[in-house]
Amino acid sequence: MTLARDNLTMPAAPVSRWQFDAKALIAAPGLVFMALAFAVPVLMLVGDSFVDSEGLSLAGYRKVLGDPYYIGIIGNSLQLACITTAVCLAIGYPAAWALARIRGVWQVILFALIFLPLTVSIVVKTFGLTIMMRRDGIINFLLVNLGFIERPMRLVFTEFSLYFGMVNVFLPFMILPLYSVMRMLDPRLLDASASLGAGPLHTFLRVTLPLTMPGVIAGGTLVFSISVAAYVTPGLLVGDRFMTMSQVMAKAYLNIRDFQLGASMAVIMLVISAALILASSYLVRAPGGEKR
Amino acid sequence: MSQHATAMPPATEMHQEPSYLAVSNVTKRFGAATVLDSLSLSVGRAEFVSLLGPSGCGKTTLLRLIAGLLAPDQGAIEVGGRDLTRVAAHKRNIGVVFQNYALFPHLTVAENIAYGLRAKGVPKAEQAKKVGDALGLVRMEAFADRAVTALSGGQQQRIAVARAVVVEPSLLLLDEPFSALDRKLRETMQIELRHILRNLGITSIFVTHDQDEALVMSDRIAVMNEGRIEHLGTPSEVYARPKSLYTMEFVGQSSRMGGVVKGSSEGLVEIDTPFGLVRAPGHFMSGSRVIVGVRPEAIAAGEGPAGEYNTVRGTVAEVIYFGSRTLLHFQTAQDGDRLHVELNRLPDQVAPGSAMTLRWRIDDSRVFPAPTETGR
Amino acid sequence: MALFGSLFCRIVLGLVIAFLFMPILIVLTVSFSSSAVFAFPPPGFSLRWYASLGNADSMLQAVWLSSQIAALSTAISLVLGTLCAIAITRGMIPGAKAVATFMASPLMLPGLVLGIAFLQAARDFGLRDTYTTLLIAHVVITMPFIMRTVLASLSLFDFAMVDAARMLGRSYPAALWTVLVPNILPGFVSGGLFAFIASFDNYPVSIFLVDVRTKTLPIQLLNQVEMSPDPTVAAISALLILGTIVALIVCDRLVGLKRMASI
Ligand SMILES: Nc1ncnc2c1ncn2[C@@H]1O[C@H](COP(=O)(O)OP(=O)(O)OP(=O)(O)O)[C@@H](O)[C@H]1O
Ligand SMILES: [Mg+2]
Repeated sequence: MTLARDNLTMPAAPVSRWQFDAKALIAAPGLVFMALAFAVPVLMLVGDSFVDSEGLSLAGYRKVLGDPYYIGIIGNSLQLACITTAVCLAIGYPAAWALARIRGVWQVILFALIFLPLTVSIVVKTFGLTIMMRRDGIINFLLVNLGFIERPMRLVFTEFSLYFGMVNVFLPFMILPLYSVMRMLDPRLLDASASLGAGPLHTFLRVTLPLTMPGVIAGGTLVFSISVAAYVTPGLLVGDRFMTMSQVMAKAYLNIRDFQLGASMAVIMLVISAALILASSYLVRAPGGEKR
Repeated sequence: MSQHATAMPPATEMHQEPSYLAVSNVTKRFGAATVLDSLSLSVGRAEFVSLLGPSGCGKTTLLRLIAGLLAPDQGAIEVGGRDLTRVAAHKRNIGVVFQNYALFPHLTVAENIAYGLRAKGVPKAEQAKKVGDALGLVRMEAFADRAVTALSGGQQQRIAVARAVVVEPSLLLLDEPFSALDRKLRETMQIELRHILRNLGITSIFVTHDQDEALVMSDRIAVMNEGRIEHLGTPSEVYARPKSLYTMEFVGQSSRMGGVVKGSSEGLVEIDTPFGLVRAPGHFMSGSRVIVGVRPEAIAAGEGPAGEYNTVRGTVAEVIYFGSRTLLHFQTAQDGDRLHVELNRLPDQVAPGSAMTLRWRIDDSRVFPAPTETGR
Repeated sequence: MALFGSLFCRIVLGLVIAFLFMPILIVLTVSFSSSAVFAFPPPGFSLRWYASLGNADSMLQAVWLSSQIAALSTAISLVLGTLCAIAITRGMIPGAKAVATFMASPLMLPGLVLGIAFLQAARDFGLRDTYTTLLIAHVVITMPFIMRTVLASLSLFDFAMVDAARMLGRSYPAALWTVLVPNILPGFVSGGLFAFIASFDNYPVSIFLVDVRTKTLPIQLLNQVEMSPDPTVAAISALLILGTIVALIVCDRLVGLKRMASI
């Protein structure tokens, strides 16, 4: 396939005013489907959050935002997402760096090894994690044999197991965007910085980090937005001991049947995700991020 | 150097023949922009017509309208007496050779050529024979089973031609088919393509930017400008007797002198130009502002007999040496006026600043009304 | 110092890979264990949990349902998404960029929110049939994967080929089918694979839509893990992992993994 555009084929984009073309109808089935099956339900959900049995009301939001219990739950979700993102970044950054610097077949192999776990079902991985966390599981086995602890300890349903599992499941989502930015980075820039007498820390802070910022933002946004909404992993690893927004939403619909509560919680989560996406696209557009 | 005007080939017979392709009063708008403005064009059977014009003048649009890939806002398109205006592209039986060939990379050379035959439901055995013939036509028999991505530009070009003609289209459209080739290859392909198409007797419309290509290949040339056809004629008509200043300047080099008509008699007008009094065939009111155009090779050094020649004097501004010929530029006070003279032999001691006498046949001068520059 | 830094990064990368594979390898190990409890290291080797899969009816039903839903929803998304992507790429519809964003946006919304929205809408529209509801929801889930890869493939496709095919006697739909489809097949394969995996593994949307008799595999698996975790679950998980690896290898043969992984 040639990239050059054939002359007989008209440029598609720079059309000043759009003209109806019968061929445009090929978009109709997909668009109509997505409008009905996606846009309408989401808008209805937003609508539902403002309605109770008596009509329009803000009762759902009053319940959620006025109750320290629910505020605490929103806090839990945000804390979970923040810590998961931070740990993923701390571990993922050097790992992605190494992956981007390695050349040849090894890069392909290591890349595949990072990528492969993504294709394994989250339920399966979380199941594996619960086995690892058992009193007679591998984590305790390692900790005892390496001499960190005397006797096996309880790990299941602790915050440690929660964060261990979250990082395990979502780490590739941090590494891949970082990797794709770092791969493009010209290593000569770093050499140049070093040859100008800059120390490694200085080079990292003034050259490497700013240049890889788009990857940090992309990976951070991705990991934050999926971990703030995570359901399976927290559910299996800590359960009710650490309630999150997801848990509340699921319970509201599946157990206690308080639809307005569920809808309000869902809209709040929607707002958090949307804010995050907007913020990250703003940050990416303003390179160098915080400096401006 | 004056054969051009006198040695006109008798090229008028095709105009009388009933037209095979008839584009009548076609208008095409994109939003507010009128890209083709009530354009008409008629082409005879087996004729090779080039569309020549600057970028954006609507050549591709016209071709796509004829092909049926676009629908006109007004007007009609007929081929062989059949009205095709409302016929879908795939039912028109019109062949197209695209600029980057648009060969199908997932098919072999032979499969590419067979594509149109399969679409038309030609039996397998006949397909194979026709594909073989088409490959022979473009001298690519040895490449039948190659991947098209493994061909050179010129080879891809040939396959594109073979694919388009194998279905025996009623009309062949070619949109700048040589623009991706280097100059040398382009020249060979021009001759070869012309030869193939003439043998097949296919009526062809050929779009090009390149005036030399148009002059070399065409039976007739349609010079286009801003969605209209400025001049439709044989290469020598278009070159030697352009109907408009635009055509004169777009096709080939030309000298131009602005001036005012002093008087006219016996089909000749006398014009006062910065280079002196000049006579040319035509009818203009005294006092009208006109432009006189002359081809550089029609001008010679030295005086000529007064009844037949224009003789002027000018100061050489620039001398450009090409080996076999030399181009002289003469300057005037007026902007836009320029006199280009092409000489086979450089007279002795010509250098910028020297004055020279020049002559050309009165018949070689063309006069056009000056573009009105009102409102300034 | 720089050398030390790069060595440090490599060590981290090695540990990360080990860390990522730990739960997966554990599941594989446990599935071959002779013991019903998940002791580490396992006391012995056996294939009994694989043998017992034959009796795990509800699990097999769930596998079958999930396969159907994933295959059908991927196929529907491929057709609808590709047609839409063509219109977007060719500038046939106004606001092409916004439309592309819209079609890919379900990926950016929290799964549970989508699930709740579907649940409510299905109730409001009186849509009772679990299978249909699941299928519609999964088309929405798979659409972004198709849109992304197909749009990327189309941006490299020379549409003059479609015109060429039309001028050679194929109608517009036939031209798309015989010329466009074979040429953007790699995009279809990789988009289709990810869409399939996304649907097959989906939990947060499906959880609101399933009923007692119609359960997708992730739901059934999680139920089992919560209620009666035994190595049968591990055995089926191991088979799933195997299936995924086979699918990845097949697709790699077809189009190349590097190209697929350009997320
Ligand atoms: N689909 C379209 N929508 C809007 N304007 C268009 C479209 N196609 C062509 N145009 C405009 O119509 C005019 C004529 O275009 P066309 O492609 O026919 O020119 P051309 O003579 O083939 O030029 P070139 O020599 O550069 O190929 C141009 O100004 C172009 O911008
Ligand atoms: Mg053009």
